Order: sequence, then C-alpha cells, then structure tokens
Amino acid sequence: MNKIKVSVLLALLVFAFLLDVALGSIHIPLKAVMGILVSPDTADTTWLYIIQQIRLPKALTAIVVGCGLSVSGLQMQTLFRNPLAGPSVLGITAGASLGVALVMLSAGTITSLYSIKELGISGSWLIILASSIGAAMVMLLVVTISSSLKDNVIVLIVGVMIGNITFSIISIWQYFSAPELIKDYLIWTFGSLGGVTGDQLLILTIVVIVGTAISFLSSKLLDALLLGDNYARSMGVTVKRARLLIIGSTSILAGGITAFCGPIGFIGIAVPHLTRALFNTSNHRVLIPGCCLVGTLLMLVCDIVAQLPGSQTVLPINVITALVGSPVVIWIIVGRHKLKGF
Amino acid sequence: MGRQQLEEVRIPACKNMANAFGRKANSMMKIKKCCSTTWLMPCLLIFGLLIASCGQRATDKKQHDLKIGSAEIKYARGFNIDYYDGYKLVSIYSGSSTKKDTVQYVLLSEGKTPPVGYKKSQIIHIPLKKLVAMSSMHVALADFAGSADAIVGLGSLKYVSSPVVRANIKAGKVKEVGIDGTMNDEMLISMKPDLLMVMGNPDAKFSKYETLSGAGVPVMLNSEWLETTPLGRAEWVKLMAALMNKESQVNAKFAAVEKEYNKLAEIGRKALNKPAVISGMPYKGTWYVPDGDSYMVVFLKDAGTTYKWGNVHGTGSLALNFEAVAPEALKADFWLNIGYVDSKKDISAQDARYAAFKPFKTGKLFNYNKRVNDIGSNDYWESGAVSPQLILADLIRILHPELLPDHQLVYYKQLN
Repeated sequence: MNKIKVSVLLALLVFAFLLDVALGSIHIPLKAVMGILVSPDTADTTWLYIIQQIRLPKALTAIVVGCGLSVSGLQMQTLFRNPLAGPSVLGITAGASLGVALVMLSAGTITSLYSIKELGISGSWLIILASSIGAAMVMLLVVTISSSLKDNVIVLIVGVMIGNITFSIISIWQYFSAPELIKDYLIWTFGSLGGVTGDQLLILTIVVIVGTAISFLSSKLLDALLLGDNYARSMGVTVKRARLLIIGSTSILAGGITAFCGPIGFIGIAVPHLTRALFNTSNHRVLIPGCCLVGTLLMLVCDIVAQLPGSQTVLPINVITALVGSPVVIWIIVGRHKLKGF
Repeated sequence: MGRQQLEEVRIPACKNMANAFGRKANSMMKIKKCCSTTWLMPCLLIFGLLIASCGQRATDKKQHDLKIGSAEIKYARGFNIDYYDGYKLVSIYSGSSTKKDTVQYVLLSEGKTPPVGYKKSQIIHIPLKKLVAMSSMHVALADFAGSADAIVGLGSLKYVSSPVVRANIKAGKVKEVGIDGTMNDEMLISMKPDLLMVMGNPDAKFSKYETLSGAGVPVMLNSEWLETTPLGRAEWVKLMAALMNKESQVNAKFAAVEKEYNKLAEIGRKALNKPAVISGMPYKGTWYVPDGDSYMVVFLKDAGTTYKWGNVHGTGSLALNFEAVAPEALKADFWLNIGYVDSKKDISAQDARYAAFKPFKTGKLFNYNKRVNDIGSNDYWESGAVSPQLILADLIRILHPELLPDHQLVYYKQLN
C-alpha cells in the first residue's frame, strides 16, 4: 500500500518539478525547456540563462527547503509531543533573523562588519554568515539551558521565550532604523527561494542532507520518545542525549534554511500532519522519508503558484505556503477527525 | 529671460504686495493697473465671480481677501501657491492627476494678522527663521534658495551633504530630532521651529503629527517624491522660495536650470542611436524597475535611450520577477543606477549570476554614487534632486559621449 503511495508521490513530484521549471514570467515552449534540460548547448542563450540560472536553482532550492523544513518540523512535534510545534519553536529562526537584522539594519556602521568585509565576505554571503551565527548562538543557549532540564515541556517553553526575547530585540532595532533599511529587512523576512545559486545551493544541500541523515538515524529514538520520556527510558534511551541530538539536527536544518532563504513558515508545521494522515503511521522510518516527499511536493506547488505563471511579478513565498497549505491541512485533518500520532 | 527681467523690474514698484511672485502674476498686475481707474467696481465684481466659479473653497473665506496672483508652476503637480494681500496660500495636492486640494497652509508675513476663514489650515510665519527638515530633498530645497542656514533640525544627521548644514552641525547648531516613528516630539516642541517639513503624501494620515501641530509647530507634508518628472521635482524649490520670501531669486535660478535641462533634453532625444538600458538590481528574486510614471524614466527618455518599461503606467516602479527582466539585462548596452554597490566585485558578491549581463562584461556599469561623502550620504539624492540638468548631462555624457565631450561626470561614476 505504501509503495503505491510513494510511487504516486514520486510521479507527482517529478511532474511538479518539470512544471516549476517550465512555467514562469517569460514564455518558453515546453519543447525548448526539454531541449535545454537534455542538451543545453544548442539552446537560445536567453532561455538557457533563464532555465539554468534562474528556474532550475529555484526549483532545486524548493526541493531542499521543503525536505529540510518538514523533517525538522516532524522532529519538533515528536520531541515535544505537541501538534503545534515547528522548526521555529526553539527560537532558532528568531536567532537567524537577529543575525540578519544586525547586518542589514546597522548597514556597515559597526566596525566589526568592516573587518568581516576585509576578509572578502560581502553581499549575500555576509547575510548567510550572520544568519548562521545568530541561529547557532540561540541554539547553544537553548541546548545549554535544556541540558539541565528534565521536562521537555519546559524546554519548549524556554525555546519559545528565547524566541520572543530575540524578536523584541529585533523590533527595538527596527524602531530606531532608517525606513529604507527596514524595508530591506522586511523583504528578507518574506522568505525567498530565488536568491540561492551555485555554491550557496551546494552548501544548503549538504546542510540539509546532513540534518536529514541525523534525523533518519535517530528515528528509533523518535519512535521511543513518542510514547513518553519514561517509556523511552525503559527502552534504554538516554532522553537528554536524544534530546540534544534532535535539537541539534533541527537547528542545523532550520538555521541553515533560514540563513539562505529567510524564514519560511507553515511548511514545517503542516507537512508532518499531512504525512501522518497520508501514511497512517507514526513510525519515523516511514514518516521521515514521507515528510521529505510531501514537503518537497508542497514547496514546489507553492513556488509555481507564487510565480503567478504568465505574470511579470512574483509573490513572497511565505504568503503562498500558508495560503495554499492551510486549506489542505484543514481539509485532511478535519476529514480524519483526529491528529495521528498524539 | 526677457520676461523674467520684466518681472524683476515690476516687483519693486508694488511694495504693498507681500512678495515677488512667478510670471503668471503679470496678468494680475495688469488687472491691478486697470483697477486704479474708474473700472474698480466692475473689475472687483468680475474677479469675485471668477473665484466663485472656479469652485475654489472660497465659501469660508472673507469676501475682501483678494487674490493678487499665483506662482507659476509649470512642471510640478503636487502644489500651488496663491498670493493674497498680506499672506500666501499654499495648497499641497494628492499625487493623482485629478487636482484635489487636500492640505492648505497660510503663509503669514511678519506683523500681519491671520486671515479669517482658514480654520483648518495651519499658519506658518514667514520668512522661516528656524526650519526642521526630515529628508535630504528638503535640505536641497533650502540650499537651492540660499537658506540652508535656517535649518536647525534634521531627522538624521547622517544623511546630509550640504556644506552649510554640515558646518552648522559641527558647530552644534543643528539638532537630530529622529525620523518617523522615533521623532522626539518634546525636543521639537521646545525648539519652537517655524516649520517642520516632513515627507508625506497628503492622502496619508496627519494624525501622526497632531501632537506637534497642537503644540504650535506647523507641520508641512511635502510630496515632491510623487512628482513624475525631474523638473517637476526640482520645481518644489518654488515652495521653499515662498516660505523664505525669496521668489525672484529662486525663480531666476530655476529658470536657468529649466533652460539648461530643456536644451540638453533636445540634444539627448535627437540622438541617433538609442542604447538599451537597465536600472536597479534584483533582490531576492524581485527586480524593482522604474515605470513610465517615474521621473527616472523621463531622464532615460530625455537622455536618448531604449527602455523596455518606459510606457507602462503604474505607481512609479514595477516589482518584476527576476526572469522577466533577465532577457533585457542579458542584452542591454548600459546598466545604470545599480544601487548600494561600488565595484564589479560588489555586484557579483550579491549574486554571481549578474556577471552574465552584457553591460557587466563590457564594463558599461554606471552608478550614481560619485558624490557619496565621508559619512555615507549620497548627494545625488540631495543636490541632485534640484539639479536635474546636471544629472541629464551626466547621462548624456555616459550614453552618447560624442554629444557632450567636455562634460565631466558630477553624480555618476563607472564601476570597475
């Protein structure tokens, strides 16, 4: 049964990927798109540029991001046994935002920034670096506090509170910043799949593969945690260590993705529910690959919608993920009358 | 120029008038002349009828307030100045083409009593001795009128280029009052400025400034940034002129700017080849490009270029998908107004894909940041706003070097 589902999902995934590459503001006939994908040398240079440099990186980013966010969301929901948990609950996204705000809103007035620029890091890499450092700092804080705590619920509350503190710091900073700088920062918070290419895409892919692999390897721990900390202990799981492992891989996934694409909401909360409903299981060995498939598919569909095919404009991806995803989740969950796995 | 001199001659003759004013005033003066004969009464009657039929808000006005002229505004659509005996009436319109007056200000000369019937209008005492300016454009307007000394407060001391204002900042004569949400109302009120000039659209809510206006600080919402032509933006100097009682001086200076600009525009528009240009830089997949209702596009047209979105009408800029602009960028001849970058390396650091654009390969990259000063303020946004003739000359020199071989770039520089 699962094999059929996986096959259907894979087929849909390939179709959505091709559609995402084929549709856009500039009309490129399907035949030409295929031609470029098969033999790039013979194609029209403008079309080649659009497909190779703009559409393919964006579609690949959508796949990587969809995968990473869904898996990290699943882990958080399992760890905290809370259906509303997502990649952003631990304040890691907030930490990444703080890093970006630091760079964007100070606009080079901080002397340390000059020294970073001296090293040859500027432009988009500077933003990525700042964001990663911000995410890592918050992660360290959460891990340090949580390692002395027994109860996961308290860890959750601490994470949410640290996120709140971080966002207030950003708000204060915004309040005292020039409007044009705030605008840049706001655009960043809308999230975007369009700015990741070349080396950046490679690094993002490696980060997500590592994060997902850790998660997959700890699926037994996750299964045990789902039945409660005490049960997990009785199964021989060291809860604190398991918690650190899970928080670590979530931080890598959420922090990395936020660094490259900005905070992308909703996917991390919604996809685990969709996957549980679809595969009717709470086994993480099924759920983790399932989340990868469903998350990727949903992200590609959102990207297609965000481009408003045929129009000249593009909508922020964050708007679309919630707009497209929420009705789907409501439909499926209400239809099943229960939340699987809790 | 002949008419300008005529005006200069006429003004001293009518000393009872508060001030000199623009050229439209000539016809009004003729009426005044004939008024001195026995035609006084019929003349007045016709005049009254005219005002009433024009549909102006004359109903709440005292009948004997006789309009004695209007400033001649040729390009700007956002404001108007009417002259009355003892005061001037400034109207700032919404940016739309339908001229709907939204905010009126009474500019009252020293020693005069406020006119009756302008309960809703703020009263500004002129000439301004203490001005607080919120944008670089306002600094430029004051500088143009030779009144930069009157600036006692700025939104931010970081964004200023005018040497006069910077010297005053150094001498501690200019205070930082904070921008937008963080404006220091208490400090502003205690400074007792004659006027606080803010950037705003008259359609926007005034409530933000009610504390200040309630405390007796007049607040003027300028909307020069909504103008759709370079000369229209620059013409706001006439508003500053009215505030400073410097009409004749400023009008003459603006007429020279206008003449020079139109001369250059004729050269540019007649250029035989029209190189294709792109402007701005994409950010996170979205590329904001100026549209046909932007003053930037007027510059591009007057400089003799081919620009794809020049005839698209909208709000001044279009938010396009990166791939919608990419075909143009790949084959463009010039890349102008690139943004906050200073070298080719900066551009490719933003996104390596931009290196594939033709202007990047041929090195025809020109940015408007030549006059960025030591504190990071770009004079292009300040004096550039009132010197459209220099910007146009720069553009023509860049795009058609053979047409202006002797011009040295003022605001633009090539990125290497």
